[in-house]
Amino acid sequence: MHEVSIADSLLDIAVRECRDNGFTKIGSIKVCIGKASGVMPEALLFAFDAMKAGTLADGASLIIEEIPVSGHCNACNTDFVVPEKYVLCCPHCSSESFTVNSGRELNIVELEVD
Amino acid sequence: MKLKVASKILDANERIAQDNKKAFEGAGLYVVNLMSSPGAGKTSLLENTIKGLAGKSMVGVIEGDITGTDDAVRIERLEVPVVQINTGGACHLDANMINSVLNDLPLAELDLLFIENVGNLVCPAEFKVGEDIKVMILSITEGHDKPLKYPLMFQESSALIINKIDLKPFLDVDVAKIRKDALSLNPSIKIFEVSCKTGEGIDAWIEWLIQTSNS
Repeated sequence: MHEVSIADSLLDIAVRECRDNGFTKIGSIKVCIGKASGVMPEALLFAFDAMKAGTLADGASLIIEEIPVSGHCNACNTDFVVPEKYVLCCPHCSSESFTVNSGRELNIVELEVD
Repeated sequence: MKLKVASKILDANERIAQDNKKAFEGAGLYVVNLMSSPGAGKTSLLENTIKGLAGKSMVGVIEGDITGTDDAVRIERLEVPVVQINTGGACHLDANMINSVLNDLPLAELDLLFIENVGNLVCPAEFKVGEDIKVMILSITEGHDKPLKYPLMFQESSALIINKIDLKPFLDVDVAKIRKDALSLNPSIKIFEVSCKTGEGIDAWIEWLIQTSNS
């Protein structure tokens, strides 16, 4: 159900951007979803397809780019990517001093419009 | 043609959350967004907290549920202002839902407002509603694996209330692991072990809440 709110918001933004720029039809919407954002891509696709009917995005496809959780270790000075949704320590040197750089994204980045 | 957008999907929610926060600040109100799984003890914690704050703070409550008014009825018995929001299916409260009930509470008369979110360990953490802090409850019957399975809520919360500790003798749950994992995810999270049934630990939580809301 969480994904329904996300789909609703992203359709609002896409339709507004399309209209404000003088276009009448959306072919595709590209979004970046961080792995730690709490959003399930499958559920978002399902919600999007159910809610796009009757909007300028009626025939649009939703392209989801999943962003992994990544960070930088302050101890061994290396960048890392982890498979989990969280970072507890640097996967190289186990230091707990690190900065998380990505994984919480929830952004709409590009529209294909006519 | 391609149209670059670069917009946060939840921007609209965050703008309304900012408006709510301004309204709360204008009324001199400190706001706590209370989150947990269904049945972890949000309403029981509120009942204990409201009783503990009697004579110290004027408290108001916004109750969020998918359907029903059971929680609001429980809070009303304590004679504090309460508004029930029924989300009609949505699994979390969002900023707009809170905005729509602001006029139903005597904000200027209150010191503390609790927003009891819909019972859910995932979605509420993602939606700001205009709160000063998020506080979460985990009851020990839910198991010690929850921080690493649902990291976002632990990362977002200023305090973690571990509830139902009176049941410790009957369970295999490893409370030390809950603490360790929660602190690994969020080193600044403040942890309280309480029993809403016996009242154990409630005083320490209330003392922290009073200090935090006044600082």
